[in-house]
Amino acid sequence: MKLSKGYRIFQVFNLLFMLIIIAIMLYPFWYLVAQSFSSQKYIYMGEVSILPKGFNVQTYKAVMSERQFWIGYKNTLIYTALGTFINVAMTAMFAYPLSKKRLIGQKFWIKFAVFTMYFSGGLIPNYLLVNSLHMKNTIWAIVIPGAISTFNLMIMKNSFEAIPQELEEAASIDGMNTYGIFFKIIIPLSVPIIATMILFYAVGNWNSWFSAMLYLDEKKLQPVSLYLRGLIAGATQTSDSVTMSSDAQAQIASNIKSTTMVLTVLPIICVYPFLQKYFVSGIMIGAVKG
Amino acid sequence: MLKQNKNLKPAALAAALALLTGSLAGCGGESISSSSSAETTSASSSESSSQSSEFKAGDQFYATEPLKLTMLYNDNPSYPISDNWIIWSEIAKKTNVTLDLVVVPLSDFEQKRSLLISSGEAPQLMPKTYAGSEVQFIPSGVILPVSDYVDKMPNYMQKVEQWNMKNDLKQIMQKDGKYYLLSGLHEKPNANYSYLVREDIVKELGMQDPNTYDDLYTLLKAMKTKYPDVYPLSDRYSGKNMLGIVASAFGVCAGWGKGDYKVFNWDTEKFEYAPTSQNYKDFLTYMNKLVKEGLLDPESFTQTDDQAIGKFSNGKSFVISTNTTHAQEMLKTMESTLGQGNFELTQIVPPIGPAGNYISGSRLENGIMINSSVAKDPRCDEIFHFVDWLWYSDEGQTFCKWGIENVTYKTVNGTKQLMDDVTFNGINPTGTKDLRKDFGFSNGTFTYGGSQELKYSLMNDREKAFQQAVFEKREVKNVDPPVLMDEDQREQANMIVTPLTDYVDQMTLEFILGTKSLEKDWDTFVSECKAKGCDDYINMCNQVYEETKDILNK
Repeated sequence: MKLSKGYRIFQVFNLLFMLIIIAIMLYPFWYLVAQSFSSQKYIYMGEVSILPKGFNVQTYKAVMSERQFWIGYKNTLIYTALGTFINVAMTAMFAYPLSKKRLIGQKFWIKFAVFTMYFSGGLIPNYLLVNSLHMKNTIWAIVIPGAISTFNLMIMKNSFEAIPQELEEAASIDGMNTYGIFFKIIIPLSVPIIATMILFYAVGNWNSWFSAMLYLDEKKLQPVSLYLRGLIAGATQTSDSVTMSSDAQAQIASNIKSTTMVLTVLPIICVYPFLQKYFVSGIMIGAVKG
Repeated sequence: MLKQNKNLKPAALAAALALLTGSLAGCGGESISSSSSAETTSASSSESSSQSSEFKAGDQFYATEPLKLTMLYNDNPSYPISDNWIIWSEIAKKTNVTLDLVVVPLSDFEQKRSLLISSGEAPQLMPKTYAGSEVQFIPSGVILPVSDYVDKMPNYMQKVEQWNMKNDLKQIMQKDGKYYLLSGLHEKPNANYSYLVREDIVKELGMQDPNTYDDLYTLLKAMKTKYPDVYPLSDRYSGKNMLGIVASAFGVCAGWGKGDYKVFNWDTEKFEYAPTSQNYKDFLTYMNKLVKEGLLDPESFTQTDDQAIGKFSNGKSFVISTNTTHAQEMLKTMESTLGQGNFELTQIVPPIGPAGNYISGSRLENGIMINSSVAKDPRCDEIFHFVDWLWYSDEGQTFCKWGIENVTYKTVNGTKQLMDDVTFNGINPTGTKDLRKDFGFSNGTFTYGGSQELKYSLMNDREKAFQQAVFEKREVKNVDPPVLMDEDQREQANMIVTPLTDYVDQMTLEFILGTKSLEKDWDTFVSECKAKGCDDYINMCNQVYEETKDILNK
């Protein structure tokens, strides 16, 4: 097959253009990696750009020897694993009935869910609620309140709607009840969308710090994201009066910051390529109906 | 009948009086308070002062029964909290009190504190509250007017008395004549911020450390002549420290010290609006001159602190704002960038300007808010005694700062020294254990204020030299009196002040950077300030000040 000249020129430029975009996207990450391997001296001199300067792994050793970092890491793993499981299970179980026209009040339930996208109880009522449910300082305060994201719920509902009704009818003629259909027919057919949901939720759970900040008062329960936030936000916070003691500011060296960032995002970046093939098809399924 | 009535009267009066004193002193149960105890200065160290109602200054506090207190804890990433810190067990051992902590990261401290207070979940003690931020919680009644309870705090009273702090405390007074924050008390103001100067360059030029702002200009000019391609002064903290101390030297306010841009004229006893004054114009003219002649890096106001540190530590600038802690860190950084022996640093005494040989400084530091629930607590007295002992007694302050004798420090010939393997703030740089990170002492939540002697005791030589030089050469300016507004007045004032302050902030930078001309645009600026209501605001302040003079002078 012979490609036209114009098409080949287009391909060259297209490739170049995409490479530039990749470079723009990747550079901030790469810069962090370079910084994390550089010595503080060269970072201050502003000489670190693409390659690490004064290459060393001392910073990694220092960060990895922090006990709190690993405690946070462990917590994050637990919260992300359990949280994502709850997220996906709850979302799927809510999305499935919503996708059925025969559900009594289907429109109402959809509106009911969408309503929460625009209106919420607010910070203090939420806090009071979690507190009176005695979930404060437990893992449940992190994994339960945000169990279903309405946006993801709608994506999942659309994807369930795309599964041919006839399959379910056949199963039901063979004697399967609703639960059987859901677990044995719908779930196995929905691997792409479930993988997508896992990715969405897992990234969200991995990065989330706000609810941990609100509901976890004990350091040993706090996730690594909060630890990281402490290093970064705490250090950039400036005092607003001269009388403020110097103690109000934390000084954290920039190589420590970047090392912690690299170590924190690494696992989630590693998961991404494996889920990404589902990701593309999963999103598409949700998008095109019919 | 009549006779009976007569008999009843004194009884009723006594009952009413008792009620009154009861409600004044506040605490639920017994309220035997001895304000006279503050005068017993000599430390009568009776070992077993378990009878806490007789708690006197200098006594060791020990709760009669184990006491558990909830406390907000500000977790600083420079020394992340650990359950294994010896300070916790030692507090329990010394006072029979265990602290149940609500640990909040420094980055989100204020937000979580607001949330806890608004949701009624506030802990009993809330340290590390900066003066002014307690005001928002007063109307809700969640925090205690602690001024009604200080008679339960003999050590606190003693320090207020000895250091003559009555006037200082007016700074945090509210319209009801009470204050809601137990401030950290300093014997002398915290002289912490000024400029760090490359002493080796100063010497190279054959000059001396600047004593006035004219000297500073001359020095910067000489530096620029010698090194034409550098900005001699490139500032950090977004330039706010510099603006603050330069403005103060010109008798006005800006930057960190801006407040709402009003200054008090002690001669006329009236507030004045600083930005429209001639002094403010002089201040702007001076700053603009620095920028115009390439002496001050225009990026000073926008760059991040790391960028500024980068320039200074690589010899691309020679003067930078600093506090004592950051000066120490800069020294360490530069030993890696320029190398030891290739530079010399001095933190100079803040230069003086037209306003005279003064520095401004407050003797109050952040402090403790106390939950109103404490007043109803049957062990209210003990709680106050505990706070008093830990934060305000000499012994408690020494303990929080230094730790435990023969564990973290030792006494040699009457002076305290850190143990050889314990490092802190540049002292014992080779030590393997950190006083804050590994033990929890000198912790910002427990350590503030104190006598000058105590403060000096744990400073490195540079810090000590700087502080001594400041108090030797400069006098401390009177702090402006507070304007005791009530909630409505404050709201009304904010309507004017918020947009006005934004405008002045912006114009200040434009004048300094030269995007607005001081000759052409000054009059427009003044009239715009007036149009935004600066005169109304100042009149309001003066009126409120006149009306509340008797509360202030009580």
